[in-house]
Amino acid sequence: MRDHESDGARARRWLYGPAIAWFALVGLGLLATALDGDAWGSLDRSRSAVAGSSACRSCHPAAYESWRRTYHRTMTQRAGPPEVVLAPFAGESIDYLGFRATLTGGAAAPRIVITPAGGGPPTLEADVVMTVGSHRYQQYLARLDRGGGPEEVWRLPVAWHIGERRWIHLNAAFLEPEGAHGDASEYLRHLSRWNDNCALCHNTDPVPGLQDSGEYHTRVGELGIACEACHGHGSAHVARHQNPLRRMLGARDPGDGSIAHPGRLSPGTESGVCGRCHGNRISADVDAVLREGDGFVPGEALADVSRPIFLGSSVASDPEGTRALFAQRFWPDGTPRLSAYEYQGLLLSPCYQEEAPGGLGCNHCHDMHGARPELQVRAGMEGDAACLSCHDRDALGGGDRPGGHGGHGGRVTCYQCHMPRTTYGLLQGMISHRITSPDPGALVGRGDQPDACTQCHVDRSRTWAAEAMAGLGLAGTSPTRAPAAVESWASRVVLDLVGGDPIQRGLATHALARPEATGADAGARMAWLVDALEDEYPALRWMAWRALKRLAAEPSAVAPDRRAEVTAALAEFDTLAEPSERLVIIDRLRAALGAGAFAARPERREQLQEQQERVILWIGE
Amino acid sequence: MSPERHLRLSVGLVAVFLAMGLWLEAMIGLRLGGWVDDELRREFLRLGHAHGGLLGLVNVALAYALERLRTPAAWATRVRVAAWLGALLVGVGFVAGGLLHGPTDPGLPVLVVPAGALMLVVSLVATALVRPGDLAPPDVAARASEQR
Repeated sequence: MRDHESDGARARRWLYGPAIAWFALVGLGLLATALDGDAWGSLDRSRSAVAGSSACRSCHPAAYESWRRTYHRTMTQRAGPPEVVLAPFAGESIDYLGFRATLTGGAAAPRIVITPAGGGPPTLEADVVMTVGSHRYQQYLARLDRGGGPEEVWRLPVAWHIGERRWIHLNAAFLEPEGAHGDASEYLRHLSRWNDNCALCHNTDPVPGLQDSGEYHTRVGELGIACEACHGHGSAHVARHQNPLRRMLGARDPGDGSIAHPGRLSPGTESGVCGRCHGNRISADVDAVLREGDGFVPGEALADVSRPIFLGSSVASDPEGTRALFAQRFWPDGTPRLSAYEYQGLLLSPCYQEEAPGGLGCNHCHDMHGARPELQVRAGMEGDAACLSCHDRDALGGGDRPGGHGGHGGRVTCYQCHMPRTTYGLLQGMISHRITSPDPGALVGRGDQPDACTQCHVDRSRTWAAEAMAGLGLAGTSPTRAPAAVESWASRVVLDLVGGDPIQRGLATHALARPEATGADAGARMAWLVDALEDEYPALRWMAWRALKRLAAEPSAVAPDRRAEVTAALAEFDTLAEPSERLVIIDRLRAALGAGAFAARPERREQLQEQQERVILWIGE
Repeated sequence: MSPERHLRLSVGLVAVFLAMGLWLEAMIGLRLGGWVDDELRREFLRLGHAHGGLLGLVNVALAYALERLRTPAAWATRVRVAAWLGALLVGVGFVAGGLLHGPTDPGLPVLVVPAGALMLVVSLVATALVRPGDLAPPDVAARASEQR
C-alpha cells in the first residue's frame, strides 16, 4: 500500500511538477518586475533615442496601420520607390518667366533640368532625392552643395499639384508678385534650403546639424511625421516594455512615464504637440536649434523651448522689422490669417481650456489615428457634433430649427459662422481655428478684414450684415463708423476680390466658388471671377481659374450654348503663360460669361485696384 | 478520476468550447463593438475557443488510449485529472486573457496557459511511456503473475 501511494506521489510530481515550476517562475518574475524601480515611473525622456516606427508596430499594430494611412507619414519620403513620386517626370516641360524646366527620369530616377528659354547652359540640373508633401501638392528636393557642404539639400522651384495633376511653379504657390522675366534669381526665388527650413516641421526629430564651418550634417530620426514626433523618443519605452510581465502588470497603469500619450495630456500640453508645427513660433535659442534641433519633448510644455508668434510679436535682434513682418500674418484683431497658425487660433479661442481634463484642445476635434486621413477629424466630431459635445443645442435656442439660434435653421453649420473660412493656405481658403462669434458691425467702415456673414452672402455689404444681426436677434457691435464710400459700389466680397490685399483677394475668390455662397447665381459669380484671372499674383490667378472650373461644373452656371466654349477656354488657360496669351482666353471667357462687376463703371475698378497696389504683400504659403 | 467521468467531462469540455463558437459568431453577426473593434480580444477569444475545443477532443482520445493501453491505475487516474485540467486551463486562460487584456498584451490570466499546456503534454507523454506492468503495487503485480 505504501508503494502504491509512493507511485501516486511520483505520478503527481511528474504530472504537476512542470506546471508548479512555471507558476513559481512567473510569480517570482512578477514580484521582481513589480519591485523593479526602472520598470515604473517617469524617466528623463530627453535622453531617450528615436526607436523608429517599425519598433512600435509589434505592440501597437492598429495605431501603426492608422498612422500609415496618414499624410503625416508621407510628408517627407525618399525618392525611388514607384509609389513615392506622384508627378510623371516623363519629359514634361514648364515654360515660365523666360525659363524652361524639363522633368525626366520617371518615378524611379526623377531629374530636373532648367534652361533659359533663349538657349544657353542649364541654370540648374539636379536629381530628385526626396519629396515633401503628398496631399495637396508635392515638392521635390535635390542634393546641391551651395556652400553648405555635400549634405545640403534644396527644394526645387517647381511642384506637382496633386488635385489638378499639373505642374506649378513655386512663385505661383506663394502669395507674391510674379518676378522679373528672364531673371534667374527671381525664377529660383523658392530654391530654399531644406536642412534648416522644411526639415524642421516635416520630419521626426530633425537635427539641422549646422557646423561652425557653415556645413550642414543634417539628421532626422525618421523621414516624415512618424510616431515619435507626437509621442516623443521611444527607445526607453521600447526597452522598458521588452519584458512581457511589465506589459501585463502595466496594462491598467495609464501613466507610463516612458512615453507621451497626447490623449492623456491636458489640453494645453497635447495642443503644444501639434502647435510645434501647426503654430509658427520663435525659438528661445535659434542657434541651438540650427545645431541640435529644437529640443522639444512631446508631453512637456512647448513654451519651454519657444513662444508662438502673435500679432505684435517681435524678435529682439530686429524688433520693428520682425513686428511688421509678423503683422502681415494676422488680421487687425489678431486672428491668424495664414495656415500653420492653427495653434494660435486655438489659444485665442474662448473655448480653449488649457488645463481642464477633457477640455477643448486639438485632440477634442482631431484624431491622428482615425479612419480618414483627410483633415483627421475625430469620429463623432464631424460637423456640428464637435460643438454640440460641449454646447447644448436646445439651451442655445435650437440652431437647427427655423428661427432658432443664428436664425439660419439647419442650412448653416456652427463652423460656417464661428470658424469662417478667413484663413489662407496652400492655394485655398481654410477655416479659422480661432472660434469667434460673427460681429460684422465692428468692421463697418473698414475693408481690412473679412467677416463670416459676407463670406457666404456674397451679394451683400457689411452694413447689411450688421443690420441683419440685429434682425436675427444676435448680439453684435453697433457700427460706430459710417460705411466706407465704396460699400455702395458692390458687395463686400467683390470689393475684396478687386481691391483687397492678396489674402483678401484669395479668400474672396474661394468664397465665390463655395457651395454655401448665396445671393448671387453661379453665372454672375463666374463673371466676377474672370476679372481675377488678370491678377498680378500667379497664385491668385490659379485660385480664380480653379474656382471658375468648379462653378462651370454646376448645371445652371453657364448657358447651354456657351458651355462648350467656357469649358474649352478654361482647359486652355495657363496661369503661368505670358500675359498676352492669357488675355486672349480671358476675352473669350468674358464674351461667353458677360461683363464683370465694374464693366459699366471702370473708374471704380481702377480706383479699387490702385488701393490694392498700395498694399502689396509678399507672404508665405 | 474514473474513466467514465473523464470521458464525460472531456465531451463536456468540447461541448462548452464549441458552444462558445456560437457566441463568437453572434458577436460577428451583430457587429458588437467590443468584438469588431478590438483585435486583441478577438484573437484571444478565438484562441480560447479553438484550443478548448481541440484539447477537449485530445482528452476524449486520451480517455480511450488509457483504457486501450491498460495504463496502471496509479498513473491513469492522475493523468485523467491533469490532462483535463490542463485543457481547461489553456482554453480558459486564453479567454480570460482576451477579456481582461491591456492595450498591447493579453491580461495576466493568460499566464495559466503554459501551465495547462505543460500538464497536458506531460499527461500525453506519460500515457505513451507508462506500460501496464510499470510501477504497479506488489500485490497487484503478484496477482497478475499468478493469473499468467
